[in-house]
Amino acid sequence: MFRATLTVCGGGIAKRLFSSFSGESALPSNLRLPPNLIGVPREKRAFPASTDLPVLRRCEADIPAHLAPVQTWLQSLESRHSEPLGVVDLHPDVFSVPVRLDILHAVEVWQRNFKRISYAKVKSRAEVSGGGRKPWKQKGSGRARHGSIRSPIWRGGGVAHGPRGPTSYYYMLPMKVRVQGLKIALTSKLAQDYLHIVDSLEIPTPDPHYLQDLAKHRQWGDSVLIVDVGEEFPQNILQATESLKTINIIPAIGLNVHSMLKHESLVLTLEAVKFLEKKLLWHDTRFTPLYPFKLPYSDLP
Amino acid sequence: MASFGTLLKSGVSLLRCVRQFSTGTCSLVRMHAIPKLKQVDRWTEKRSMFGVYDNIGILGDFKAHPKDLITGPAWLRGFRGNELQRLTRKKRMVGDRMMTEDRHNLEKRISFLYRRFNRYGKHR
Repeated sequence: MFRATLTVCGGGIAKRLFSSFSGESALPSNLRLPPNLIGVPREKRAFPASTDLPVLRRCEADIPAHLAPVQTWLQSLESRHSEPLGVVDLHPDVFSVPVRLDILHAVEVWQRNFKRISYAKVKSRAEVSGGGRKPWKQKGSGRARHGSIRSPIWRGGGVAHGPRGPTSYYYMLPMKVRVQGLKIALTSKLAQDYLHIVDSLEIPTPDPHYLQDLAKHRQWGDSVLIVDVGEEFPQNILQATESLKTINIIPAIGLNVHSMLKHESLVLTLEAVKFLEKKLLWHDTRFTPLYPFKLPYSDLP
Repeated sequence: MASFGTLLKSGVSLLRCVRQFSTGTCSLVRMHAIPKLKQVDRWTEKRSMFGVYDNIGILGDFKAHPKDLITGPAWLRGFRGNELQRLTRKKRMVGDRMMTEDRHNLEKRISFLYRRFNRYGKHR
């Protein structure tokens, strides 16, 4: 169908290499696949060549002169076999940043741990009931000397250095690190062909099988995360994703690195792309906060 | 002939060298079969929606902070500290609502930790 072409993402370390011969798979020669692997290797659709296709969406923010916007297909959820509608531009400072795996790891670990409160608690020797009296006199009984029956060396005694009380593991990463983590996750999804831009979330039926079929036919992967801006979603897609476990829909405010790593592919609407670009690019050129951002600033909306 | 018989008998008793008793103990963990792996559903509601709204500050105009998402004891939301700091915070925030025994244990523990951190050891 499409002849694969050689394409390089502008300005970033994340690069996509396709074989320049039609029909050849683009797997590296030293790849060892397990013999019990199920599934068809994904055919990579040709990346749009930037010559003659009309660009349906340009970036609102200014792009630095030395960078070029990344381009990707705009798809539609209307029918299973619908062709891509065209090509959209994505800002390179959000979708084509150098992929720092250590930042991604740090953000993922932060997401796992900052909410964690461990409720493990054991009683110390002071809290275990009893054990106030000396069990036998110090000298003369022939037994070892003891002061209480609840000391840690006794059976039924308290624990000397056990977990104490609800412990919280809260910490915050710097805001720009979290923002960079989001950008890197988006870049990786795009670079690995797991990012799909969609014009809107209208689907013809509220049937969950339709979405599953669509995802399977278009080789989106086992799990799909659908992101849109705003509080209202079309009823059809809400009903379809309600019963599905691996296809989930979230508002754009809820986007985060853990969900992007958990779900295999990411589907963004055009409004979601605009929203994310606006929110994530602001941190590149902002001043350092004199007071927390939740208090009013004159120039912040 | 008799010597042959005794030799044979001693030979046979030497061959039957298996003990009729055991000199060891058995393991406390008794398993009659390989245990089945526990089936973990990786796509429950909680697991698939984990981490959503963690970036509510940076993506949501800073009206909320991720520490507002934490559910837990009131004295531990958005706070991290060592045991003494946690206990003194608990006493400040929740102390007057506590039951007498718990409060007494809390105060005992606070005074023990205060003395341990500030009077003994290398770091005081």
